[in-house]
Amino acid sequence: MILFILKRIGYAAPVALGVSLVCFLLVHLAPGDPLSAILPVDATAEMQAQMRAAYGFDKPLPVQYGLWLWKVLQGDLGTSIATGRPVLAEVGRAVGNSLILASVATLIGFTFGTFFGFVAGYARDSWLDRVASAIAVFGVSVPHYWLGIVMVIVFSATLGWLPPTGAGPQGSGNWFPDLEHLRYLLLPAITMSVIPMGVISRTVRALVGDILHQDFVQALRAKGLSEFGVFRHVVKNAAPTAIAIMGLQLGYLLGGSILIETVFAWPGTGFLLNAAIFQRDLPLLQGTILVLAMFFVTLNLLVDVVQTALDPRIERA
Amino acid sequence: MTVMTPSSASLATGDPVAAVAAPEIPAVASRGYWGSVLRRLARDPVAMGAAFVILCIVLAAIFAPLIAPMDPFKGSMVRRLRHVGDATYWLGSDELGRDMLTRLLYAGRLSLFMGVLPVVIAFFIGSGLGILAGYAGGWVNTLIMRVVDVFFAFPSVLLAIALSGALGAGILNSIVSLTVVFVPQITRVAESVTVQIRNRDYVEAARVSGANPFTVVRVQVLGNVLGPVFVYATSLISVSMILASGLSFLGLGVKPPEPEWGLMLNTLRTAIYVNPLVAALPGVMIFLTSISFNLLSDGLRSAMEVRQ
Amino acid sequence: MPLPTRLPLRRNALGRTLSGLALALALTGPASAQGVLRIGMTASDIPLTTGQADNGGEGMRFTGYTVYDALINWDLSRADKASDLTPGLATAWKVDPADKTRWIFSLRPGVTFHDGSAFDANAVVWNLDKLLKSDSPQFDPRQSAQGRTRIPAVASYKAVDPLTLEIVTKNPDATFPYQLAWILMSSPANWEKQGKSWDAVAKAPSGTGPWKVTSFVPRERLELVPNKEYWDKARVPKLDKMVLVPLPEANARVAALRSGQVDWIEAPAPDAVASLKAAGFALVTNLYPHNWTWHLSRAEGSPWNDVRVRKAANLAIDREGLKEFLGGLATPAEGFLTPGHPWFGKPSFKLGYDPEGAKKLLKEAGYGPNKPLTTKVLISASGSGQMQPLPMNEFLQQNLAEVGIKVDYEVVEWNTLINIWRAGSKSDSARGGTAMNYSYLIQDPFTAFIRHAQCNLAPPNGTNWGYYCDPAMDKLFDEVRTTFEPKDQVAVLQKIHEKFVDDALFLMVTHDVNPRAMSKKVQGFVQAQSWFQDFSPITMAK
Repeated sequence: MILFILKRIGYAAPVALGVSLVCFLLVHLAPGDPLSAILPVDATAEMQAQMRAAYGFDKPLPVQYGLWLWKVLQGDLGTSIATGRPVLAEVGRAVGNSLILASVATLIGFTFGTFFGFVAGYARDSWLDRVASAIAVFGVSVPHYWLGIVMVIVFSATLGWLPPTGAGPQGSGNWFPDLEHLRYLLLPAITMSVIPMGVISRTVRALVGDILHQDFVQALRAKGLSEFGVFRHVVKNAAPTAIAIMGLQLGYLLGGSILIETVFAWPGTGFLLNAAIFQRDLPLLQGTILVLAMFFVTLNLLVDVVQTALDPRIERA
Repeated sequence: MTVMTPSSASLATGDPVAAVAAPEIPAVASRGYWGSVLRRLARDPVAMGAAFVILCIVLAAIFAPLIAPMDPFKGSMVRRLRHVGDATYWLGSDELGRDMLTRLLYAGRLSLFMGVLPVVIAFFIGSGLGILAGYAGGWVNTLIMRVVDVFFAFPSVLLAIALSGALGAGILNSIVSLTVVFVPQITRVAESVTVQIRNRDYVEAARVSGANPFTVVRVQVLGNVLGPVFVYATSLISVSMILASGLSFLGLGVKPPEPEWGLMLNTLRTAIYVNPLVAALPGVMIFLTSISFNLLSDGLRSAMEVRQ
Repeated sequence: MPLPTRLPLRRNALGRTLSGLALALALTGPASAQGVLRIGMTASDIPLTTGQADNGGEGMRFTGYTVYDALINWDLSRADKASDLTPGLATAWKVDPADKTRWIFSLRPGVTFHDGSAFDANAVVWNLDKLLKSDSPQFDPRQSAQGRTRIPAVASYKAVDPLTLEIVTKNPDATFPYQLAWILMSSPANWEKQGKSWDAVAKAPSGTGPWKVTSFVPRERLELVPNKEYWDKARVPKLDKMVLVPLPEANARVAALRSGQVDWIEAPAPDAVASLKAAGFALVTNLYPHNWTWHLSRAEGSPWNDVRVRKAANLAIDREGLKEFLGGLATPAEGFLTPGHPWFGKPSFKLGYDPEGAKKLLKEAGYGPNKPLTTKVLISASGSGQMQPLPMNEFLQQNLAEVGIKVDYEVVEWNTLINIWRAGSKSDSARGGTAMNYSYLIQDPFTAFIRHAQCNLAPPNGTNWGYYCDPAMDKLFDEVRTTFEPKDQVAVLQKIHEKFVDDALFLMVTHDVNPRAMSKKVQGFVQAQSWFQDFSPITMAK
């Protein structure tokens, strides 16, 4: 198992390096002088010279990448143009809020998704299956930013039950686990949960269907195993994949939270990205993307290891 | 791995296991095979319904100038934010008093264009790269597939926004960003299918018999690979539609006053207290298009999965 | 679905009422603390808190004149007349009759900064160095960017004694006190205490103003409490606390007000005004010296160099229609200044809605259906005084298209637009835009006219964004500066305004009425006819 983990880390390392390269190149993708992309437009000549030297823009690209990477490894993600604050501090504040939202959404999505998936998988081609499948297709086809607006129209604008924006009373504030803050979390989390719900219910339906049709289940049934016993078998065999999908979904939600966070003014990384885009704050854009992508790489690794540990069928080579 | 993941797992398109979801490949892709797929598809009422909806939306977009009742750019301040069911404005009017029906019809042009084009471009680039990697093997395969791995390490929405954000707003930049998002996905499917085909006896035989590699690729590989990859690509259109409109919704895609569903959704947001139904309409169009593409793609997949 | 989570809210409200009652019983008299006011701003981040605020007029309103004072402040106590200057940290000022470039300021004795250190003439010199002397240790590029261009007249300054300050201007300049009203005084001792780092000062700022900062969460909120030691006892705030929340999106602001997240929002979306009133919120408006314009570039190659094109654009705008769109919350422009302004004069060019006249002018200028005029304009998505920039500009786009001017927009964030505005229309950052949608504060001769149109104030020396330069105009400006007699000065200012309108120097569109929506609990607020407001008299009803 340890060998397997080491092998996986060995595989993830070059990917992480590639990810950092893509993030590094983002600043150079921007039209015009990269220096102008990371400085306020009215920066003084001294400031320009200082930054040019600090970033090494006069040096060849590979050297620049090396310099940049060295800084990143030391925790220096640069300075936000718009606020003059360190990017790491900005991202650090936001990432917790995003994590709460994405985790709760994944949890809701996983709970309902597995439920619908099991129901549909057990009762294939029944009306239950059709309803569950319809919900699943809805989940993967609905533009979630629109669903968010509809939720706001219904539950905030019309019924006035839940607050439409922000993460808590008195401005956004840091999220705190009490009932008042929970009210702010509900709408964005439910809206977001629709995506993993669709994905997970489709996956679980397919898994359950496959497992039930496998020979060993028929054999168990023939041997007189109770339906509950069969169910336990199905769960045991479906769990590793379902959990793996859930883990990956958490990563996708975190990375894709910009639209939902914009709709609900949720003060997370997506909201930060939105601000970075409109202020043409490339260091902030670059830093936020790097942190999110690295989180995703790590999550992938984790999911891989956990899935292997849980699933008896996968060889731990 | 025995993992089976639905390809239209929407926003999970970056999903590494999604690649396995490419449909089963028939032994020999004969004309008869594709004919039977189409026949099966024609008997699937859901898929046919979805195809009909898509056809209607596409035709409406193409012939918008002929069927739209008004000018999509001309508005009237005194007649703004009319409700759905208005005698003149059947689907109401927007925040600048422009006819919603007209703008929804016209908006289909850009929305479809920006949703479908990236997948089409990515289909060609991705198939090319995937077939090259799969057929050539060795270091070529390693090089291409490791780069693909790096792009897979970004959640797709994040990658699209990172690229669009760095390149700046605009239709062209959005299309470029989305294409970059889809190329790795299609490359991975094309590569895995090519490797399967390559290892089949008849292709191996052709190779060993000294046939020109290009002929082998053209005759054996292309014919057998492009079908499954095409089906996979169709399942990406729904994602692409949602993402493209999402970029416009964020202000990264189409610029006003051009009608586009995502952008309309954005500019109408201030009207949700006054006229919520009109404010929600552009999203209905995105949803309708996206779900139709998903259902059609599902139908196509199950039609192909049945063995002869 | 009856949500159980609503219960605690009611209980909280009840709890607040009870504790409020207890407080009211315990304390009597006007000095008792009176609640928390939460305000939703249009800025996308907390404006700079170190002294010179960013984010335009809104920044100065919320993190400028609240935490800090200028030598000369604005009198914001009246709603029924235009706000004018009032003594701030200087109790009196006069120009030397023998040398009209030499100004003497008598400073207010006994004033201390929030950190307890004393305010004196050396502190003023230190603050001016902070903005103007790039080799001084306390020089702050961020504050300098905001403040430098506000005081172009300053040539030198020195402390005569602890309570007397001398400033020498480059030329005689009767408008100088207005310039100085922009410059806020931060505490030198606090900067030393914060490790000489402005970033650290931003989190723990110290001024002399009526409000002290207690908590600063970037992008989320700023909390202010009264400065009980404020030198003007009449302006010691009555609230317990004021919380500022950035809510750049008009819709999010309305939603936050409706859900009780904030008690007060700046610039509610016009479409939401009727429903807000129906829901029991108060809408406060007042005239203020604002205009919403397109600042036209006069750099080489700009189509706006032709006066016929400028006039055509001005005739193409249906200003009444725009007012209708804004729910009546606007005053259509008749000139660069608000109608009825004492400096308005009698311009001969009338800003009517005349598409045919516009087409004719464009034809004379060589444009027509076969050769439409196409140009790019920079606009922001939100911002202080920008009203509802996206739909309003879309409306203009429609109007202009009808006469044959095709406009393409580049949408940028508000602070970015301000940066581009300072960098000038010839800079790369303008991305080829030939005009910029900018709303101006027109409080005094300098902010109203001179900064936009004087030849030597083109970037980087000033904010003449469009590089407009006309010797005749410069001569009028010189006349204003050397006319120290108010009545004669007005006559010159009228001539300047007439030239502004007759030459159609700007696309003059509309004036805002500064709408804010607030809960009925907010009491005692007097909306001054100014970009800035006084939050001291406000109380919150229980």
